[in-house]
Amino acid sequence: MGLKDNKADTGRKRKYLVSRRIDRIFLELYKVYAFHVRFFKEVFVPPYEFKEVIRQCYEVGVRSLPLISLTGFIIGIVFTNQSRPSLAEFGATSWLPSLVSIAIVRALAPLVTAIIAAGRVGSNIGAELGSMRVTEQIDAMEVSATNPFNFLVVTRVLATTFMVPVLAMYTIFVALMGAYLNVSQNELTSFTTYITQVFDAITFLDIFSSIIKTFIFGFTIGMVGSYKGYNSSKGTEGVGKAANSSVVTAMFLVFIEELLALQVINLFRAM
Amino acid sequence: MNTAENKRSIMVGVFVLVAIVIFVIGILTLGGQQKRFIESITVNTVFGDVEGLKVGNNVWFSGVKIGTVKQISLHGESQVQVVMSIEESARKFIRENSKARISSESLIGNKIIEIFGGTPAAGPVEDGDVLASEANLNTDDIMKTLQENNKNLATITGNFSEISNRLVRGEGTVGTLLTDSTLAKDFKSMVASLESTSQNAVRASRDLSRFTSKLGTQGSLANELLTDTTVFNKLEQSMAQLEEATQSATKMAQNLEQASGRFNNENNAVGVLLNDQTFANQLQRTMQNLETSSQKFDENMEALQSNILFRGFFRKREKEEQKAAEEAREQQEQQQQEQQPVKEDNQ
Repeated sequence: MGLKDNKADTGRKRKYLVSRRIDRIFLELYKVYAFHVRFFKEVFVPPYEFKEVIRQCYEVGVRSLPLISLTGFIIGIVFTNQSRPSLAEFGATSWLPSLVSIAIVRALAPLVTAIIAAGRVGSNIGAELGSMRVTEQIDAMEVSATNPFNFLVVTRVLATTFMVPVLAMYTIFVALMGAYLNVSQNELTSFTTYITQVFDAITFLDIFSSIIKTFIFGFTIGMVGSYKGYNSSKGTEGVGKAANSSVVTAMFLVFIEELLALQVINLFRAM
Repeated sequence: MNTAENKRSIMVGVFVLVAIVIFVIGILTLGGQQKRFIESITVNTVFGDVEGLKVGNNVWFSGVKIGTVKQISLHGESQVQVVMSIEESARKFIRENSKARISSESLIGNKIIEIFGGTPAAGPVEDGDVLASEANLNTDDIMKTLQENNKNLATITGNFSEISNRLVRGEGTVGTLLTDSTLAKDFKSMVASLESTSQNAVRASRDLSRFTSKLGTQGSLANELLTDTTVFNKLEQSMAQLEEATQSATKMAQNLEQASGRFNNENNAVGVLLNDQTFANQLQRTMQNLETSSQKFDENMEALQSNILFRGFFRKREKEEQKAAEEAREQQEQQQQEQQPVKEDNQ
């Protein structure tokens, strides 16, 4: 805004701090930071939109359950089936439950849940808020003394933050059942033995680190979707961009966070 | 709150509750599996090398998991102190003089601490006790030994390779045997000969067997020799006599040798007879003279018989001789006549 004023005052060409592109990146970063600050301010400030949070939880959690369950079940079967030849080379197929449980609990279930949520929920939030921005519904809410940020953003971010870990729990359970189906068919392992081997391989650190990761993933998906939708440009094209950008950015950030989380968890594991 | 909202809230509540139930069951199962929620005691031990043991690894006693590694820290001079969390229920089985060693769950499995040994005389281990440790055979040591074995194996296989190459090239006795067709034929004929020999040997052994069986026949010479002690004694006596005879023969031979030695000397009659050429010539002449003399004597005797003085003597002797011959003939004829009637009686 200051730069605009500068142009207006002097009548010369617009001046940039570094370059147009880099300045835009910094500006975007600032906007993201401001968006986060606003979220943490609004989340603790009444009025609390419980009904809307529940509605969003329903949309994000319950409505995503069938898709997540199916994906998790398939992931369990496929991963077990693909891991078998490698272990069979060493004659160690009896270790499949251990291997599969570690892979599912530590990485697969949180990542798959986050990716499915980013695809389904992130794009939904981006498109929804983007269309509201385009159709000036958000502006209308501001005019009508309703806090659109609290009602639209906070509720959705809270819903994704709390529902993605819950979905991840389901994914772990369903994927382990899928893996069991495959293991029992091929190795004739009993359910008790399978469960014993699964829980023998995983630790509390694995479970808690996964839960904490999914909280972060859920928060990221909600924030990215909300930010992209809330700040979408005018026009129908902006809605599509917001939805697409929400998914791509959320997925990208989820993978980056997974990488960082792995480093932090390894620190705890070494202790 | 309208019905739709109410229904949605209930759905979310159920959704979250089920997830929480899954989570809690998972935590409880994991806790039960890792025995996190049971009473435990802490036991320490100090190792020189923990070989990659980590916090959370299992502690075994007689092959049963009784706890986990709680803490690992460097201790003293390049030693490692390991704090183990052990189930209270297993405490009474672990003695104060039990030992701990680093082991492995399987060939490529996680490292574990294995508690072993201990005598009933020693009391059960108490919270905070320090168990003695035992150094285990390191994987590196095993690998070093294996490496040595590998080198030996490589040398052996190299030698075998060289041998097989030489065999293929037909070098050496075995190689020649394998590649030379003439040798193979010879070998074949040798085998045939061997077969024939073995058949002969079988036959011979059969004969020998038959012969030896005959040796055992009662009354045979061999049996007598082997079983009758009297024969043996006689045989022994004969042998003694034979030995005596041999000694006498030896002695006689010595005497003969001495005598023959003396024959070469000319200081005795036989020696002179054998060795002196002059004497021999004289003797020859004497013999010739004797022969001539005897001829002449014979002539003289014939002349004497014709002599009238001696003729009566010779005729008388001739008559006596004829008479004696006639008497002998008559006696013979008489004996024949006596024997003839006896033969006729027998017939």
